[in-house]
Amino acid sequence: MDVWSQLIQGFVTAGTPVNLLWAFVGCALGTAVGVLPGIGPATAVAMLLPITAKVDATASMIFFAGIYYGAMYGGSTTSILLNTPGETSSMVTAMEGNKMAKSGRAGAALATAAIGSFVAGTIATIVVTLFAPVVAEFAVRLGPPEYFMLMLLAFTTVSAVLGQSTLRGLTSLFIGLAVGLIGLDQITGQARYTGGVPELMDGIEIVLVAVGLFAVAEALHAVLFEGKIVESENKMSRVTMTRNDWRRSIPAWLRGTAIGAPFGCIPAGGTEIPTFLSYAAEKKLANEADRAEFGRKGAIEGVAGPEAANNATVTTALIPLLTLGIPVSNTTAIMLGAFQNYGIQPGPQLFSSSAALVWALIASLYIGNVMLLVLNLPLVGLWVKLLKVPKPQLYAGILIFATVGAYGMRQSAFDLFLLYAIGVIGLIMRRFNFPTAPVVVGMILGPLAEAQLRNAISIGEGSPMVFLDRPMSLSILVVVLSVLILPRAVGWWQGRKAAPAAV
Amino acid sequence: MVQDKRTPSFLHALVGLGVVAIALGLAFGAVSIPSAAGYAGVGPNFLPWLVSGALFLCGGFMLYEARTGGFRHMEEGPPGDQPYWPGFVWMSAGLLANAALLTTIGFIFSCALCFVLAARGMRNAEGQSTGGLRTWVKDGVIGLLIAAPVYWMFTKFLAINLPGLTQSGWL
Repeated sequence: MDVWSQLIQGFVTAGTPVNLLWAFVGCALGTAVGVLPGIGPATAVAMLLPITAKVDATASMIFFAGIYYGAMYGGSTTSILLNTPGETSSMVTAMEGNKMAKSGRAGAALATAAIGSFVAGTIATIVVTLFAPVVAEFAVRLGPPEYFMLMLLAFTTVSAVLGQSTLRGLTSLFIGLAVGLIGLDQITGQARYTGGVPELMDGIEIVLVAVGLFAVAEALHAVLFEGKIVESENKMSRVTMTRNDWRRSIPAWLRGTAIGAPFGCIPAGGTEIPTFLSYAAEKKLANEADRAEFGRKGAIEGVAGPEAANNATVTTALIPLLTLGIPVSNTTAIMLGAFQNYGIQPGPQLFSSSAALVWALIASLYIGNVMLLVLNLPLVGLWVKLLKVPKPQLYAGILIFATVGAYGMRQSAFDLFLLYAIGVIGLIMRRFNFPTAPVVVGMILGPLAEAQLRNAISIGEGSPMVFLDRPMSLSILVVVLSVLILPRAVGWWQGRKAAPAAV
Repeated sequence: MVQDKRTPSFLHALVGLGVVAIALGLAFGAVSIPSAAGYAGVGPNFLPWLVSGALFLCGGFMLYEARTGGFRHMEEGPPGDQPYWPGFVWMSAGLLANAALLTTIGFIFSCALCFVLAARGMRNAEGQSTGGLRTWVKDGVIGLLIAAPVYWMFTKFLAINLPGLTQSGWL
């Protein structure tokens, strides 16, 4: 079997002591940033992007994947133990996890989250192993019109469908696209929006935008608005699961994985939908006695299912990233940026041109999952101590790392002023509920989408009809339109049905 | 405080105006980009105009929302909704001092200074008293203890250039 021998080769590459060390450090760092409030995987990967200048591609991608992955494990620890909701994907875990922790079952909640993440992560990695090469083989046949439509789909879902307000999502997206415009045009080499400043010819560094929007804006937001918020921490208990807990968790893990994995595969992004779906499914399927625990004592299925769904989605999201080069979250967008730093463009050719790297990366996912299970079950007590870091030192420390990332990329002190300016813009966005993912995705995917658009129209000899003439691109266009229109049509329809009833 | 007089819709209108300003700035820049499309039908100035137009519409729509009661679908604000500006000033001072001094006094001292100022802002925001010399010294020491190993790790282990006070790579 071809996949099999490739995978074995990947394990050989990923299994060298140096690469194992990178995976381990990545997993540990990922868990730490997942646990720490105020810093997430996207920020951590962005801050460490300068290492792409020195570390070889395979090692750093293994390292970044470890961070990406580890943060998912760490995030659940925080959402179970702290009574402040963190990122959206762990919000669902927090609902039941918090209740469990309050009734003295923090340990069981942590255990089911960690083991569930492991089960889902491993199954999803198997899905990646089996399907990514198939998708890549299929994707070779896609031309610029299809690619442009897929990117349009990613833009639409990340800005208009996820999040509270389509208007603010679209504004973020177009601001990201505007930032992506700065620099040389990919096709004609025309300088755009550089104002004659040579530093701007290469465009704005991803590190600056990501670190500014996430780390600096987060710290400024904390100092302005969060000083008086007192966080309360739930008591830890022994990390074990009873026989009954296992009986209730195992089917929830598997259902969560089944719900989450397909969501990652499509370039539509977001863990919110699969985690909420899994939560709803578990609540509906629970038997009478267990269902009574939802929202009261805390039901273990309500942690196990969404946590598995979350990890499955996050893992299979690597399929569109690796095979199509389309990222749909902050972290995957920044990982795409890391690939670009090496002059590697993820896409269908990646599996033939950089086969060794891809398979080492996939193998490292299996290894990373095992490492994370060890890091997060017996050693969970260690990570919990991170929650005790006082906020002044935490945010001030984050700023030091932000400096490393921003300065280390181009060795320019000017970038540090720019970082502050981006931080202030990020603060305004945060204050008024503008989502940040569309900015980052727009900035990174924008130039690629523009190139595909122009190539597509060249193929159509100057006519935009090329998008409608090709069946594949037409069908993706229909999907784009339906994700835009369907939810609104349904809302309008329901509103109309409800209106007469109210009268 | 000044901001008590401002309603949310006033701030929302400012944000909308900002977006419109960005759109106009992009349009101003787009004028000077040639449209030479070649075979492509769309040239390098197509996307700039598109983005500018879209942002103009978004900004306009935001102004409309601001005039009619403020942005829709907002999350509820944090409990302490009054911003604490002194903390913001401390942290900004830290970040800007860092940007200004990094290449002169070296990564370690510059970052430690940033750490001290940012931590002070956050402490004040939490309502801690920070008058004593002890807190200053404590934060300074912690700042150095974080910045120095980070510096060594990046310069020695990862060979990434960070500015030092000396050329030795240790300080």
